[in-house]
Amino acid sequence: MVEAFAVASGKGGTGKTTSALALGMALAEEHDVTVVDADTGMANLLFHAGLADVDTTLHDLLVEEPALPVGDAVYERHGMSVVPCGTSLAGFRDAHPERLRHVVAELAATTDVLLLDSPAALGSKSAVLPIVLADRTITVLQPTVPALSDGLKVREYARSYGTEGAGVLFNRVTDESAVERVAESSDRYFDGPVLGVVPESGAVRAAREAGKPLLAHAPDSPAAAAYRDAARTLDVDAGDADVVADRFASAVVPDPP
Amino acid sequence: MTVHGGRLVHSRVVANLGDVLDLALEEAITGYATVEPQDALLLDAEGVGVLALEAGVPVAARHTGTGRVGRETLAELSVPGPCRVELYERDRPVQFADDPSNRIPPGLPADRLVRDADLANRTRSAAAERGTGERTDADALEAFLTDDDRVDAIRREARTEARQRAAEWGLTDALAEPVDSDVAVDE
Repeated sequence: MVEAFAVASGKGGTGKTTSALALGMALAEEHDVTVVDADTGMANLLFHAGLADVDTTLHDLLVEEPALPVGDAVYERHGMSVVPCGTSLAGFRDAHPERLRHVVAELAATTDVLLLDSPAALGSKSAVLPIVLADRTITVLQPTVPALSDGLKVREYARSYGTEGAGVLFNRVTDESAVERVAESSDRYFDGPVLGVVPESGAVRAAREAGKPLLAHAPDSPAAAAYRDAARTLDVDAGDADVVADRFASAVVPDPP
Repeated sequence: MTVHGGRLVHSRVVANLGDVLDLALEEAITGYATVEPQDALLLDAEGVGVLALEAGVPVAARHTGTGRVGRETLAELSVPGPCRVELYERDRPVQFADDPSNRIPPGLPADRLVRDADLANRTRSAAAERGTGERTDADALEAFLTDDDRVDAIRREARTEARQRAAEWGLTDALAEPVDSDVAVDE
């Protein structure tokens, strides 16, 4: 049984990676969770998860002749499986985005929840693939007009590909009343409930500097509590693993010529 | 004294800030207003409160003496009694308005310093219409998400773009609905 979520935003700096790892850790209390850094052009999950020095990353699984088993880029950390992506330009250049579906298909066979930390911009095929492949999107928004505007755009892209909405995670919130006032409208436009409201927190930066997910570094912080609440609100609807794996492997994305 | 240059358009001691905020709003003045409560004059306190204005809408605040920024500046200026206020017009917004920590909701000065709900509402409407003060502000968020035309336009544009790019990237088979000929990209 597996459900794949694209953690998306349409804008950089909203805290997608922090959110993907935090939701992952919270969900891992009940589910078998795999978090994948699907932002192959601007990877940063490895820094958040203390994996900056690992040898094998998603990039190595996306090259033309990988021969590497997917498991080589999977690291067990903080109670979940983490697939980091490399940061080298060469790695990005040599990566074939189409291969992501094979990797996702294989990962889907052995996990309950797949969280795809997705690129901010939608300017390339590799950037849009995570929301094409996912069952649902979790839209991470800062409560600002530009962020909402970009979030609407991502949601519309996802909808175009038939990817449903799991809801909105408001992040880096300094004025909770702002979110309360827009919650009803955002529900209407993002196809799901407000999953959580995560306050702006110095603990997030400290966690990043420590190379740890927020829930490992500052489990008692208000931000961590908000992520745990959000994870409880997220109603995981795991489909049949074989069906999902088959969909990823065989459907939508044509192989390169 | 001018703290950010510009052309002085108004200077007087007033019982409250309402008229000056109203003037700035009506004239759509970009620049800033300095506010110095009389208490501060008497106490010989240093510095003034500065409200940054974009197209007549207050968007940011800071105090040159105490270093307080954003909402805290307004708390500091929210004292009874007359104050000296000067309004300056500039060609472009003052730089400190770019810093998110200095930003304030556009309606807040009218709400907190003047307690004039009508002026606050007019300011919020102007902020939405003029596209200012929208960076960290509950009012602007609400105005944005309840502006159906604007939201629909963004969604329509994104939908068209998504389908065009799907064609460019060979992802049309993955689309939920077939591509219409009018948005498909010629191969």
